Amino acid sequence: MMRLIKLALQKPELAALLLLAILIGVFHITSNGFFLSYANMRGLLGFLPEMALVAVGVTLLMICGEFDLSVGSVFALMPMTMAVLMVAGWGFLPAVAIGMLVCAAIGFINGFLTIKFGIPSFITTLGMLFMARSMTVVISGGFPPRLQMDRIPEQLFIAFVGPGDLLRASFLWFVGIALFMAFLLGKTNFGNWVRATGGFLPAAQAMGIPTARVKIACFMICSMLAGFAGMIQVLRLGSPLPSIGEGLELQAVAAAVIGGTSLFGGVGSILGGVIGATLIRVIDNGMVLSQVDSNWFKFAVGALTILAVVANAWLRKRGRAMKVET
Amino acid sequence: MKLKLLAAAAMLASVSAPALALDIVFTHHSSASNTFWQAVKKGFDDGCERVDADCQMIFTQTEGSVQEQLANMEAALAREPDAVLTSIVDNTALDEIVQRARDAGVIVIGVNVDDLEGAAGNARQAFVGQGFLPAGYSLGEAQSANFPDEGPINVLVGISAPGQNWSEQRGAGVMNFMEEYAAANPNREVNVERIDSGTDLATVSDRVGAYLAANPETTAYFDTGFWHAGVARVLADRGIEPGEVLLGGFDLVPEAVEQMQAGYIQVQVDQQPYMQGFMPVMQVYLSKTIGLAPADIDTGQGIVTPADADAIMDLSAQGLR
Repeated sequence: MMRLIKLALQKPELAALLLLAILIGVFHITSNGFFLSYANMRGLLGFLPEMALVAVGVTLLMICGEFDLSVGSVFALMPMTMAVLMVAGWGFLPAVAIGMLVCAAIGFINGFLTIKFGIPSFITTLGMLFMARSMTVVISGGFPPRLQMDRIPEQLFIAFVGPGDLLRASFLWFVGIALFMAFLLGKTNFGNWVRATGGFLPAAQAMGIPTARVKIACFMICSMLAGFAGMIQVLRLGSPLPSIGEGLELQAVAAAVIGGTSLFGGVGSILGGVIGATLIRVIDNGMVLSQVDSNWFKFAVGALTILAVVANAWLRKRGRAMKVET
Repeated sequence: MKLKLLAAAAMLASVSAPALALDIVFTHHSSASNTFWQAVKKGFDDGCERVDADCQMIFTQTEGSVQEQLANMEAALAREPDAVLTSIVDNTALDEIVQRARDAGVIVIGVNVDDLEGAAGNARQAFVGQGFLPAGYSLGEAQSANFPDEGPINVLVGISAPGQNWSEQRGAGVMNFMEEYAAANPNREVNVERIDSGTDLATVSDRVGAYLAANPETTAYFDTGFWHAGVARVLADRGIEPGEVLLGGFDLVPEAVEQMQAGYIQVQVDQQPYMQGFMPVMQVYLSKTIGLAPADIDTGQGIVTPADADAIMDLSAQGLR
């Protein structure tokens, strides 16, 4: 039994999961039982895939030893590209394809510049953050085009599906993509290469792993997931505002770290990123339902986020320190 | 006779176009991705084109950053412009630099957001924009016509940007009205709550949506921006009929007008962003050419209802309303 507890505590994502369960319990009580209500879950689970998909991409990239601060801007650029093309007469699917190509190109540029010139990805992607946001405004002329919702296959992305219409189709996309990414990271050579590249780069290179290509691939996946998530949000809200996704990059990094991903690369899991993103959404949502004074709202969100990371680290430390008879 | 004609021509020339193109800089607290400010920019650019002025609007990189706005103003003043147009989102931070600009002979007009004390609190020569407190009051008053005849009134006020004049003042205006409403209706239970609603469509939808799920007896939600358009979608998703939860807010961006057409938003206050960009340029032009002093312009407490929505949609999509 003790052995199982020790193993569980040492797994970063399980420690985060424990915290998530505690917070859900606390918020359910402080909100007089509304937190887990059908209406609230429906709203929470509708928003979650958008942030969690970004967190999945950022987590993968961080395990590979790099950062991407441009995800918030790419989150806005992809749907804006799609909307502008659709207003120009393009069909939905070709417009989405071009939008995803733009994301892939941005990911490639981020990775290429970072590796070719040996620049910290923090700087490369910070520059891209501004450039992509600016492009979003430029291509729309400052005024977001109106999406013609009748030309969009809502059933495929945003319609409510499942038992009691609790989930949106986007949630199924998110689950499918997260499972695929977890499989990619945990069960394939590519996953091993990602961990080795992020864990100890010289050793990975010495082993003949194509580290440059691995990193560029991770940058591209990260950008494409951010763009796809942005598209889902715009389809859900019906409006490609150029300001969407501002600040999302920091939330995504926070989600990855809360979920146990190392800032130095090599360590982490997709499940951890997903749990981290869920934790952030739960904190935000729970604060509202607990009717925290609006002036204290950001303070509470920030404090709980720090608490989540500190508690996570503490639990892992306790797990490592536990003595188990062999 | 010839002399009189020459004098008249010279006078006309001096009125119709200054000797050199006017140099006008517009600094404010918002980033380029803010749709509202793009409409202000359109008015500003159109105004500048009309009078052949050399103009530049400088956005901040971070939404709402007063420090960046100050840095932009410093840079703009270094090139000695004829006029600086600026939002005054803080009651003290911009006092010194505006005074310095005035001392250097630069025309300074406050736009969009003014010092809470008006001319007494800042050296700007005039203010072109909306009075936020009365605008919030007008919004509350207009929406109260849609309140149910009986039963308690539960109101939620979403403060989009806690601590910023524009948002706090609009919210305070709504709450002032609700206080008066409660006093005028002593037999009815009136509850008002405020929430940090945010300035992102998805965040506001999530937060207010969560609140409404936990408080289904809410009568009305007032947003201090246009982000309640996202709340309207949440209500539609939940199968809640238009009018069951009353929605009202500010600015006629296409998203909000669309939800007015759908019936979810009953009242919207228009502050005419295009006019906020256009009119200060005209004031600078008149000041420089014929010496007219810039004057305050209230760009609107205009209440817009769904009946006006169709006519407004086209103008709104073009950034003219």
